[in-house]
Amino acid sequence: MSGHYRGCGPELDFPPASPPSTASSSATPSFQKLEILRASTRQNHTFIRPTKRIHEGPDVSRFLVSQAYRDIGIFVLQLNRAMLPRRVSSQTQMFPLDAPRSDPQPVLALRDLLKKVEALIDEAPLDPGPRRFGNVGFRTWHQILEERADSLLKEFLPGMAAESGSNEAVGALDEVKAYFLGSFGSAQRLDYGTGHELSFLAFLGCLWKLGFFVSPPSPDSENKEDKIPGELERSIVLGAIEPYLQVIRRLILHYTLEPAGSHGVWGLDDHSFVPYILGSAQLARPIWSESEPTPLEGSAPQSPRPSDVAKPERATAHRDRWMYFSAVAFINDVKKGPFWEHSPILFDVSGIRDGWGKINKGMLKMFNAEVLAKYPVVQHFPFGSLFSWEADPDAQKVVGTSVHLASQPTTTTSSVASGEGGPTASPWTQATRMPGAGAVPGPGIPYSRAPWAGTGSTVPMPRGGVPDTGPLPVMDSFPPGVRGTASAQHSITKAPWAK
Amino acid sequence: MLGRKDDEKALRQLASSVEPVSLSLEILQTACAWVWVTPEALINFLIASRQRANAPGPCRRHLTPKSPAVAAQPASRRPPLNLEMGDLDRAIAQLRACRPIPEAEVRELCHKARELLIEEGNVVTVNAPVTICGDIHGQFHDLMELFRVGGDVPDTNYLFMGDFVDRGFYSLESFLLLLCLKVRYPDRMTLIRGNHESRQITTVYGFYDECLRKYGSANVWRYCCDVFDYLALGAIVLGASNTLSPNPDTSSEAPTIDEDSDVEIQVCNADGQIMTQFSRQARSRVHGRSPSGAATTNGVAPGAGAPTNTGPPGSGASGSSGGSIGNPAGAVLCVHGGLSPLIDVVDKIRLLDRKQEVPHEGAMCDLLWSDPDEIDGWGLSPRGAGFLFGADIVKVFNHKNDLSLIARAHQLVMEGFKEMFDANIVTVWSAPNYCYRCGNVAALLELSEDESGLGVFARSNGEVGRSDGGVGSGGGGGSRGVLTESSRGAVMSGPARRYRVFQAAPQDSRGMPAKKPVADYFL
Repeated sequence: MSGHYRGCGPELDFPPASPPSTASSSATPSFQKLEILRASTRQNHTFIRPTKRIHEGPDVSRFLVSQAYRDIGIFVLQLNRAMLPRRVSSQTQMFPLDAPRSDPQPVLALRDLLKKVEALIDEAPLDPGPRRFGNVGFRTWHQILEERADSLLKEFLPGMAAESGSNEAVGALDEVKAYFLGSFGSAQRLDYGTGHELSFLAFLGCLWKLGFFVSPPSPDSENKEDKIPGELERSIVLGAIEPYLQVIRRLILHYTLEPAGSHGVWGLDDHSFVPYILGSAQLARPIWSESEPTPLEGSAPQSPRPSDVAKPERATAHRDRWMYFSAVAFINDVKKGPFWEHSPILFDVSGIRDGWGKINKGMLKMFNAEVLAKYPVVQHFPFGSLFSWEADPDAQKVVGTSVHLASQPTTTTSSVASGEGGPTASPWTQATRMPGAGAVPGPGIPYSRAPWAGTGSTVPMPRGGVPDTGPLPVMDSFPPGVRGTASAQHSITKAPWAK
Repeated sequence: MLGRKDDEKALRQLASSVEPVSLSLEILQTACAWVWVTPEALINFLIASRQRANAPGPCRRHLTPKSPAVAAQPASRRPPLNLEMGDLDRAIAQLRACRPIPEAEVRELCHKARELLIEEGNVVTVNAPVTICGDIHGQFHDLMELFRVGGDVPDTNYLFMGDFVDRGFYSLESFLLLLCLKVRYPDRMTLIRGNHESRQITTVYGFYDECLRKYGSANVWRYCCDVFDYLALGAIVLGASNTLSPNPDTSSEAPTIDEDSDVEIQVCNADGQIMTQFSRQARSRVHGRSPSGAATTNGVAPGAGAPTNTGPPGSGASGSSGGSIGNPAGAVLCVHGGLSPLIDVVDKIRLLDRKQEVPHEGAMCDLLWSDPDEIDGWGLSPRGAGFLFGADIVKVFNHKNDLSLIARAHQLVMEGFKEMFDANIVTVWSAPNYCYRCGNVAALLELSEDESGLGVFARSNGEVGRSDGGVGSGGGGGSRGVLTESSRGAVMSGPARRYRVFQAAPQDSRGMPAKKPVADYFL
């Protein structure tokens, strides 16, 4: 048992006068940012057309020590950090969705791109024919997207035109496009899930690495004192990621896209994960200084209570302001029935009494375990030069021994996590080293009441090194030649061992 | 080999002559086919074995570890092993209230259930009348609605075609209730296995998480999975009538048809009102109020994406149907998914070793995973397990096995049921508003009992008490068993089907529970 914050005290509405001692650690947390390719190295950089590398379950543990995995973790934490409320001249500054912003040009371009993508709906009408669930009109939509991806990216992403590979050579555009096209659901299966969302994160990560977001310094930005650190990242979240989520929600509603590999009520959300991470950061306890660790508990004073999540009318009231509630309200749009029945995990989380900081910490851990470490989700993630399959030299020792854990239930996640950092390392330090945030999870979501350590190994798993059995198999995985109508079946169960 | 009339007759006589040996005609036939001996020789051997077995010593002890003597009794008269009837009734009452029973009781229940299920063949024989249900997926309140619409146990004879668990919030309560009812009324409940009744699938799709959340340990999940391994793979319904039994709920405003026997398909709403029916000859709609009336009658409007038409089977995507002309009065095969290229006759299912985790491939896997599709022959399944199979496959299979219909589940149908391939196969789906969001209606399929005495010949498959061993009802020369040629004039088409369509249960009555401890990520 990790022993952190297990108390049931009142919600922490006020920040402590000094950084909480629990976060102290020998190593000062470094808030890494994704590295931008320098112009000098850029000249000689060799782009690689992204290809899949995760072919079977055990490959996931290799993924967990790859540079791509490291970079995804850094980027998510970088965005997450930026969303935290700040304490500025004795006032709490929060960053809601509806606050006026002046997004930099690259973010505005991204938003225009997303608008254009959304507008393709008008060109791909619903199919009136016999239907199962997902509407096959979405295949037309996706086909148009594929056909126009090159020109769209060149049009809206300045500099991309020059980046397209000439003839044989692979250019940056080829890498970026792979993640862009992976971001909008599966045309074949008419579904959308966290793997597609992950692809969009990688798309943004590619742009970041390519320096796309670095604007030439303008006279306005000279006045650094007014700027709260993380502004660019916040613009990406509020000005691109949230609009992306809105496009996705529109697509889901319009074409009745399926939840990819639905767990039914036993997943966090049928389609999304990222809004719960960034949305909880948005409401967490404010930080006083940029060197302060990311809070592990506590809420900003003005934050809605976590318990509002379970009240549909409250969720609706907050949906235009806070990402977390925007996502919850969408669930309420789509699902009919008691919230605690159709979304029990979110319901349980809404009972957390230690504030949004604690929820944020948990969401990051859960994302690591239930998205990044799940074969069905990451098996179609492609690797190029920007998100590289190459091993991260610093990562080897972190998860090198946990390969076999992948196919059986682990004990608890949080307690196992102490492997790397030792007892003095805070969970957050581990979270920033995402591989250490939890052991590679087995099936199911761990609950600490489970006194089953020692019996877990008796859980029989079928033969053949079937991978861990995570949620949301996403992206296309069709055997060649299959074009049956059954493929348009809502929430069909796919065999977890299927490639 | 199998299915020859002479063999069958001889076997039946011989089987009855060795009563009370609890071996069925079916087992004998299978055995004959297997070892390629004459039925007489086999029977003689068995009689001799039986005499030896009557002396103290194990005979079938490996199959019935607890009480082999009890197994010889008809199941209906057999008391549930070691389980006090009162305990069982109490557990049923508790589960009906949607409250889980203690872990120790689950353990005992699962133990009992296994002892019962181990006696069943891979293909259970069920006599009409029976009500056939598709996927439940832990939608407990909708299961209660199903019982309300279809009649309560044991008044109604039920056959559930698997997928009791996963995705829904109440897989545990749903499955345990069905299992309790199975143990309590073994002759009234038939449960066959779905692809979700599997360790690997339940760890992915929710049942495992649910058990952990509700019990704090995986023990209950483990007990349930052990039961899954013993569930039958399919069922054969015998004695289904070509005419519908009177609909007790039919109101005076119900449409009238000159002769009841003309009705092949009747679709009723949850209140028993006839929405549509189809006569046998023309397969045209005889009468019906607007099918979409069901939505308003129930007071529950279908959600987004709901069909506007709870439409006529055999129409729409099914194409124009000429009726099920192929196999009059044949049996109905029930299986969760569909057919397998490895199974050309039903008897091959009986030869499988089913008592295991569902394999990734092979006949057992296919039966639980396959889907019918508008293709020719066989196709790869997008699911990554099982196959797609076309109309030609189904028609040949039904003809070869003297089946009039295959009933299966496994795929969401917005209208609750869907007949395909000239009514040779039907998908029945019993989870309304699937996953709280699909807006579909659910259905159950009622097959009436043939009281004319001309129905198919009942036979047993080795599970005691399921029938009288094949010598009782409808005996004599008039029998037309599923193994015999269907030589009678094909005047009538397949069994008359009454579909009852229902919506998700109202949700206002469910209270809000206390919040549970969160997953470890949030500690």
